Amino acid sequence: MISTVNLVKHFGSLEVLRGISLAVNQGEVAVIIGPSGGGKSTFLRCLNGLETFDGGEITVGDCALQPGEADRPQREKVQKIRRRLGMVFQQFNLFPHLSVLDNVAIGPRRVLNMPRGEANERAKGLLARVGLSEKMNERPSRLSGGQQQRVAIARALAMQPDAILFDEPTSSLDPRMTAEVLAVLADLAKSGQTMIVTTHAMNFARRAAHRVYVFQDGVILESGPPEQIFERPQQRATAEFLRETAA
Amino acid sequence: MPSGLRRILLGLLAGVASLWLAPTARADRLDEIKQRGELVWGGDESGGAPYVFKKEEDGKYYGFEVDIADEIAKELGVKARFQQGEWVQLPAMLDKGDIDLALNGIELTQDRQENYLCTRPYYVYGLQLLVRQDSSIQKWEDLDDLKAKGKLTFGVLEGTAAEEYLKKRYGADLVKSFDNAKLAMKELEEGTISATLQDDCFAIYFADDYPKIRFVGRPIAPGLYVGMVKKTEPRLLAAINQALDKMIQDGRLKKIYDHWDMAGRAQVVSLRNAAEIKLAASGSDIQKILLNSFPFLLKAAGMTVFLAVASMPLAILIGILIAIGRMYGAWFVAKPLSVYVEVVRGTPLMLQLYFIYYLLPSVGISLPPLVAGVLGLAINYSAYEAEIYRAGFQAVPSGQMEAALSLGMTRRQSIFGIVLPQAFRIVIPPVANDFIALFKDTSVCSVITIVELTKQYEIQFQNHPGALVQLAVVTGILYMLMSYPLSRFSRWSERKLAGKKFTGAHGQVAPV
Repeated sequence: MISTVNLVKHFGSLEVLRGISLAVNQGEVAVIIGPSGGGKSTFLRCLNGLETFDGGEITVGDCALQPGEADRPQREKVQKIRRRLGMVFQQFNLFPHLSVLDNVAIGPRRVLNMPRGEANERAKGLLARVGLSEKMNERPSRLSGGQQQRVAIARALAMQPDAILFDEPTSSLDPRMTAEVLAVLADLAKSGQTMIVTTHAMNFARRAAHRVYVFQDGVILESGPPEQIFERPQQRATAEFLRETAA
Repeated sequence: MPSGLRRILLGLLAGVASLWLAPTARADRLDEIKQRGELVWGGDESGGAPYVFKKEEDGKYYGFEVDIADEIAKELGVKARFQQGEWVQLPAMLDKGDIDLALNGIELTQDRQENYLCTRPYYVYGLQLLVRQDSSIQKWEDLDDLKAKGKLTFGVLEGTAAEEYLKKRYGADLVKSFDNAKLAMKELEEGTISATLQDDCFAIYFADDYPKIRFVGRPIAPGLYVGMVKKTEPRLLAAINQALDKMIQDGRLKKIYDHWDMAGRAQVVSLRNAAEIKLAASGSDIQKILLNSFPFLLKAAGMTVFLAVASMPLAILIGILIAIGRMYGAWFVAKPLSVYVEVVRGTPLMLQLYFIYYLLPSVGISLPPLVAGVLGLAINYSAYEAEIYRAGFQAVPSGQMEAALSLGMTRRQSIFGIVLPQAFRIVIPPVANDFIALFKDTSVCSVITIVELTKQYEIQFQNHPGALVQLAVVTGILYMLMSYPLSRFSRWSERKLAGKKFTGAHGQVAPV
């Protein structure tokens, strides 16, 4: 479904990604953990073209992307990939000038040219799914952080993406709000939604992930099923990271 | 009434009162002139030959009025010094005491006679009709046919008897007024107006410089040029009149006119019989003047509103497109746009209007004054709006653009559908502020013959120099009435936006 081969990314002289290769299958939940500055966010942002990359290849479905100038064919490829991948940000990035309902419906309306009525129906269904039906006419600024993030998830789902990328979705939330957002994520995982999640919430990774990747200094330190990573880490650095996180 | 407005009005009134009171207490001007050894006389060199003009070679002033002023000064036992001033400002310069004597083709009118002391006439003028060589106009009556066909337009020097005459006879709508008689001549040569009416001495003096233009008929509606001094200076007036009388008697005036090829003998004979020439009538009572002028000022205020309301949306539209081009465009789009902004911001609006109205016709683009005015204002302000919107775009968190893109929207959809609506709200206060500024800048459009509020004020005080200050107060109040609601709106929107902050980038809601 999604794969990268030897993905490389620099910011000037700083090498942020130093050859990342991984593959996520349909219906799989991949969780990326690791210390801050390890390249987790940059990796997700490269996947849907919010960052350019300098080497290797990204494949989403039948669409393969190599590094290149932002010319027309490249832009069209990125556009195609973005339609297949949803994205949920740490800071939610809801559109403050639109109502909650419009935040969810605007994607289908603008990108899929869906009639307003149909898009609103879809949005209402998704808001019900994340438990926010009664907030649909509010502005995002009236919602709590956890509620905003659930709207952001509904907004991503509205495009019916093949996969959703979650960029530290609970890092700016307090524990109670974190729990309500993780509940939605767990529900999505159970329904077979393909997801890539970067997170510091280890319990979630342990419970929901099919496969866990540990990023450090721009490389994959190790990867495997959660029980292996959390119970029998192969690398000393992984064990250290997990110990520090638990402390 | 809000306290701010009341304070401003009180300030205005205090200013008016001081203007009224200040000039009354002063020593006799004639003594002062003799003491200082200098007669300071005012004129406008941009009126040019044969009245007053500067020669490039020596930087000195020449003209028949220069010669007359020199002779008058000699009679007073002093030297003459020319003081440059805008023609329409000469009465104000007299009032302020900047000049002793205004002497520059000033026509004798009843109104001037009532508000200033006018010297005895020193020249009898007539109004000469001028048309293009290839024009169908052969006599004055032909103008009526042309008017009936709707093809008649005049250009004329503003504030002159010629302007009054044409407006009265053919209607104000057909008469375009220029700051400078030569601009009217140029327009006539280019065929944008059908005729002009000029004082005969000007027309004759420049006849050879305009080969494409010919005279129609004899000069009409004769009138008198007089000098003006302040009403409080009867001794100065008497001394000047005595000097002029002497110059007429001993042939010096004839010699001056002969030197300038202005038919000296005919002039002197006409001047001796000048008593028969009628004055243009006008009211004098200040209340009556204000009542008469008010409808004109109100109509002109309408023009001011039109100019502002028509040009601002255009300026905003162009400004937004420039801001987007500079923010999101490739370098070959962004670079020229930033040059555009610098050039437009770095040059005066008046120059830009001159360029659009007077220079573009030479490359075949001839715009009507209103279109040129709206376009000029829009272009000028577009540079400022572009900068405001650029700041507005930068104030929208980058996550907004990223969220839109990751939904699969194109860059264009993201900019116009997501970022622009947010930037739009952020910039409401500064844009409203600019709108107020533009409101007042519309006055610059007077240089391209548009009569808006400030121009109409100028016209009114030329006709009624005695009510100069009162007319200014009325005009000022009209401007304030128009811009005050805007500034209220600006402040209201600022408050509203400050209270209701978006929380686009940062999750937590700011306490309201």
